[in-house]
Amino acid sequence: MLSKLEKRAERTHWGLFLRKDWSRNKLLYAMMLPALAYYLVFQYGPMYGAVIAFKDYSPAEGILGSPWAGLSHFKDFFEGFYFERVFTNTVLISVYTLLFEFPAPIVLALLINEVRSRAFRGFVQSVTYMPYFVSLIVICGIVKDFTNSGGIIQQIVASLGGADTALLQNPDYFRPVYVASEIWQRIGWESIIYIAALSSIDTEQYEAARIDGAGRWRQMRSVTLPGLLPTIMIMFILRMGNLLNVGFEKIILLYNSSIYETADVISSYVYRKGLIEFDWSFSAAVGLFNSVINLALLVLANYLSRRVNQNSLW
Amino acid sequence: MQASTRKASSAILLSLMLTSTALTACSSSNNETGSPSPSASPSSSASAPASESASPSDSPNAGGSVYPIKTDVMLTRWLDSGAFSQQLAVTPKLEDFPFNKELEARTGIKVKYELPAVNQAKEQLNIMFASGEYTDIIEWNFVTGYPGGPEKAMQDGNILKLNDLIDKYAPNLKAYLAKHPEVDKQIKTDSGAYYGFPFIRGDDYLMTYGGPIIRKDWLDDLGLEVPTTMDEWYTMLKAFKEKKGATAPLTFISTPRLFDDLQQGLFYGAFGIKRDFYMDDGKVKFGPAEPGFKDFLTTMRKWYAEGLIDKDIATVDGKIRDANMTSGKSGATYALAGGGIGKWLTAMKDVDPKYDLVGAPYPVLNEGEVPKFGQKDFAAPQGGNFAISPKSKNPELAVQLLDYGYSEEGSFFFNFGKEGEAHTLVNGYPTYTDPVKENLPLNLGLYTRATGGPFVQDKRYYEQFAALPQQQEAVKTWGQTDVDKHQLPPISPTAEESTEFAKIMNEVNTLVDETTIKIILGTDSMDAYDKFLTKLESLNIDRAIEIYQAALDRYNAR
Repeated sequence: MLSKLEKRAERTHWGLFLRKDWSRNKLLYAMMLPALAYYLVFQYGPMYGAVIAFKDYSPAEGILGSPWAGLSHFKDFFEGFYFERVFTNTVLISVYTLLFEFPAPIVLALLINEVRSRAFRGFVQSVTYMPYFVSLIVICGIVKDFTNSGGIIQQIVASLGGADTALLQNPDYFRPVYVASEIWQRIGWESIIYIAALSSIDTEQYEAARIDGAGRWRQMRSVTLPGLLPTIMIMFILRMGNLLNVGFEKIILLYNSSIYETADVISSYVYRKGLIEFDWSFSAAVGLFNSVINLALLVLANYLSRRVNQNSLW
Repeated sequence: MQASTRKASSAILLSLMLTSTALTACSSSNNETGSPSPSASPSSSASAPASESASPSDSPNAGGSVYPIKTDVMLTRWLDSGAFSQQLAVTPKLEDFPFNKELEARTGIKVKYELPAVNQAKEQLNIMFASGEYTDIIEWNFVTGYPGGPEKAMQDGNILKLNDLIDKYAPNLKAYLAKHPEVDKQIKTDSGAYYGFPFIRGDDYLMTYGGPIIRKDWLDDLGLEVPTTMDEWYTMLKAFKEKKGATAPLTFISTPRLFDDLQQGLFYGAFGIKRDFYMDDGKVKFGPAEPGFKDFLTTMRKWYAEGLIDKDIATVDGKIRDANMTSGKSGATYALAGGGIGKWLTAMKDVDPKYDLVGAPYPVLNEGEVPKFGQKDFAAPQGGNFAISPKSKNPELAVQLLDYGYSEEGSFFFNFGKEGEAHTLVNGYPTYTDPVKENLPLNLGLYTRATGGPFVQDKRYYEQFAALPQQQEAVKTWGQTDVDKHQLPPISPTAEESTEFAKIMNEVNTLVDETTIKIILGTDSMDAYDKFLTKLESLNIDRAIEIYQAALDRYNAR
């Protein structure tokens, strides 16, 4: 009884508040409109297109006109002959990338932070950024050249007594090659944000640490890392939201049928299927499935982060 | 003011249409009663076609439409500019190509070309269909590039059924089709509908342009004959490896599909199969499901283990193959007469004067057998790929424009361009002029449309395009196969069938490619083959064969 009254009071309170706020901040609300419209038109509007995942979409009949297909595209995907394999591969490649590639730029940023010479810092930064700005197709060409028999990596292996075989023809080596090239490509670019975060750490903290007798190592552990942690956590959460989006461009540029076993991921599988079938609805269904999993992971990561160190996106 | 001009011009057009209809009626009846000579294609048999300067009315086929047609209408034409990227870099607008200017002068029809952004043709085609803003003429392969094929494209209202229009306004094409029923079959649907004008290869000689290629100078050094059987190939590759120091004696392209270069049946054919579907006595078969596939795998596995096949065989692309063939790393491959023999001989002319290549026959298992498969294109390789939109206000004019290329004069013009500019007649033989020859691939695109247009391609174009004696010889060697008996014609499953078919084949192709390469590389043992057969069965390959069989039967009944 009481709670009902309370609720009503709250509601009228809210109504009053809104009305007051409206009359006071009319102009501000008006200024918000374009941004709101942007989100509605360009972000939420297209979401309705996802409905083709439940239809047999054909461009001639349009989104509304195409006949309904129910969950048949999802069923096709889950019951596909290779579903388990591509799903496992996707998760494994993502997890390995997260495990090895995610910490790499943090380490690089910490190392660069310790370098005194400005010129050397600049040099290292430019060199490590470089691969990020090279077109992906060129990057993959370089990777292939390096890993083919007679390529630079194979020459080193052979000189150490190993066998000179093409790495990208052996399923065991695909993931290491992929992750290593990922690190090479992104380490410099992704370190920028950490370097920026490092520069915002109060120098007085270092001073205080030094007075307390902390060496460089101790300073890094007790001042630098804690200062960097919020940035790391945010980056981590954002990363979780993309866990299943293994870039298919890079995969299809690197893989071949002899390493499907470890290299074929959801997106490359859909690409092959889409290329043959022009099956927009199927692709949309897989995309939707990916998004749902990613959203779940994002929420989970955010929750964990909030529990562990009160740091979260929302 | 504007309205009255429009009225006037439409009146002219109407009268024009009437005359052309009347004329068409005469000429088509002429053609039907004319002595049919199915074996002789007009382009190749024509002894010195009516010289360029001959007025159109002298030309026997021009009866349908009197060119140039008097009209103010501007037609729009959409095409994927990919084929012209080289020319567009020199002359940025298709309207300004000398060939297109002359075509406009000859037909009297002005054309505005619309080009999609490079590599986005398919997306932009979809946008055109979705937006409803069609060009009059749409150039696209509707057989392979439209889900459900041309029949579906007509159903969807994206292209026009042309039967009546061709009857009335395209006497030249009609005459050609009457003489060449095999082309006729290739460009209509199972229900007998015409959906577009074809690019026609006017001679068997023009349909074969790729095959196995071997280092001739190595063969001579080693005292070996050009190999014809698998055993002789083995001996040769072994010799290349041991005596010539080739680290990858046999190389071929594996992108975008695994063993892409062997799709036409090289090596597979020796064991009576192909990587894909083919037919024996009218029965559709799928190569990897046949026993010959196991023998193929066994042989290739042995070759690979002995280092006769490129170690990187799963990742070889065109660039790597070029490098292998010109650096002494490899001595045998599959390639085209132009992009292989021509390219490498030219590149090596100054580097190594001894360097020589020869086109080898497709190898067979036992001496004296005729190769079962080989590269051979269809007479109408893209079906009817010049389609007309249902929204076009002047479909009859578009038909008349497209029909020009099948008249004797028009076809000659497409092949050899304008006399004096692109070619001169030497003893009645249309010879490309020296400025054009300076860069044939570029200039043929600017001054002629000797390949890929709506016309009948002439043998004499290819004789000059692939002019090296090695190329000429190779094309002859490659042509000697039984491929006509075993290659599937361009059949088209129905829309529902093709969805089902694609679903099966997507999984099957992954399975076949993976099994093939893993067994050959030695990653899997030969035992994997038995497991492969069981899996293939469970993926319902029989249904896919059934679908193709039904489509083939319908095709034969066309």
